[in-house]
Amino acid sequence: MFNGFSHSVMGASHVAKGIVCQDSSAHKITDRYAVAVVADGHGSKKHFRSNIGSQCAVEATIETIERFYENADDFEANFPKNHKRIIRNIERQIVAVWNSKVMKHLEENPVTVVEKKPFKQEEFEAISPESYYGTTLIAAVAGRGFSFGVQIGDGSMVGIFEDGEAVMPMDYEEANPANITASICNTNAASMFESFYVDDKRMIALYTSTDGLYTSFGSEYDFRDYHVIVSSQLKNAEALEASVLKNITKRSHFGTEDDISFACVYDPEFAAEKADMLAEMVERNKKRAAERKAKLHTANF
Amino acid sequence: MNKNINDAKENTTVDDLLDFDDDDPLGATAVSKKSLVIFFLIDTSGSMKGKKMGQLNTVMEELIPEIRRVGEADTDVKVAVLTFSTDVKWMYSAPISIEEFEWARLGAEGVTSMGAAFTELAARMSRNSFLNSPSLSFAPVMFLMTDGYPSDDYKSGLKALQGNSWYKFGLKAALGIGDEANDEMLAEFTGSKDTVVHAYTGGQLASMIKIIAVTASQIGSKSMTLSDETNEELSEEDVYAAKQKMLGQQIQELVGDQTDAADVPYDTGW
Repeated sequence: MFNGFSHSVMGASHVAKGIVCQDSSAHKITDRYAVAVVADGHGSKKHFRSNIGSQCAVEATIETIERFYENADDFEANFPKNHKRIIRNIERQIVAVWNSKVMKHLEENPVTVVEKKPFKQEEFEAISPESYYGTTLIAAVAGRGFSFGVQIGDGSMVGIFEDGEAVMPMDYEEANPANITASICNTNAASMFESFYVDDKRMIALYTSTDGLYTSFGSEYDFRDYHVIVSSQLKNAEALEASVLKNITKRSHFGTEDDISFACVYDPEFAAEKADMLAEMVERNKKRAAERKAKLHTANF
Repeated sequence: MNKNINDAKENTTVDDLLDFDDDDPLGATAVSKKSLVIFFLIDTSGSMKGKKMGQLNTVMEELIPEIRRVGEADTDVKVAVLTFSTDVKWMYSAPISIEEFEWARLGAEGVTSMGAAFTELAARMSRNSFLNSPSLSFAPVMFLMTDGYPSDDYKSGLKALQGNSWYKFGLKAALGIGDEANDEMLAEFTGSKDTVVHAYTGGQLASMIKIIAVTASQIGSKSMTLSDETNEELSEEDVYAAKQKMLGQQIQELVGDQTDAADVPYDTGW
């Protein structure tokens, strides 16, 4: 019923500076549900363990979804009726599990002298311990008869449903230069999530990605079209996965040089059934892109 | 957690991954570099008619390849041109990559609706409008060129602009052309006298447009996260303040060298 993949590649700028990859990604496939999750560790000075924080975030998400699905029949019966409340509970649970994971890591791995070195004593004391691990999180879940997702901070979730259009149901409002990205390490993190729930359209594929992927595109149209192209190739899963890994490596290398994570869950039978339609959508999108470009390049004088 | 990528990392080098297959449908998708938008705000009122506008058109045509070279390394520079006379008008309907940009020669007539231009710029400098490219990585550069004093209420336009975060954090420079342009007023736009220069001759106009546009593009596309003096992490505010200061210093240094006694002043016989 479901399949999926997830990849994280290190940003070229991080390779150059000798910084570790701060992104994490994961996917989980069962016969009742599938999860695609990515997290982007903040990476700035005070978030010096954000690579571990992002790994804890993807683990916390998958563990939380597993827990909610422990009694799958009950969950599937209740969720459509109470999805708003249950999604809020899922968000709270993810934050709680993440907090307990990072605190356990801190307990087992106290802050070292080397980690403290960049800070003045009072500066270090002003940082809350969970901030060391600060990260974003975007997760998409495909269930039987419904899809949902949660997000805190930047990054993107794209859904391809039965009509083949790429939709971004949690369209993140990219910040102005002075704005601050929401983080799972914020004290009010549970109230900062965005979410979506869909049960009236059958899913072909759901994708989550960290902002390194989005920023490697010149326009949001191109970003959306990319997901339709990927979906049109789901029929050749093995070749596609190799191609995706190559492509996100290229995007990180020649684009904004940021880490990129890309995760996907999909319905292989439905993707195969819709393959011709998706191929037509790819061609339609190419024509539209050419029309947009021609219009843009016409001077107003 | 993510076994697939770990396997790939163990068995594959980045060079292998960058070796692309032409038949790969994903390989054909374009990759955008970090991008920067330069806004040129150009006075096309009647007083610019004749040599000033002719020279400005020529300089702008020559400038495009020079800015292209700035972006060659790792930045895609995009250009948006807003003209203002009786009406305000964009040369193209959105910013265009410098690689594909073609200068459309401008004419000049009408009055100087600079306040309306500021209002229009404030409306377009938004993630929902001209700054909607995902690859946008730097605050914009805004370069104002005028030969006169605004004929409308420029202060209300400037107020709208000053409420825009992109304006606050962007690099601003202005060029006054001829005797009528008011440097005090231009400094209200840039926020600093250091980033206002004045051209009194055709030669100065050509060199100053190039100096300002190229220097601002270079500084605007510079990645700055650490202070050179303290090696401390800079806030966004600090980065843009440092860039604006650097722009002022470099413009003043470069402009100081630009004097050409043989050049004929604009307002001599114009």
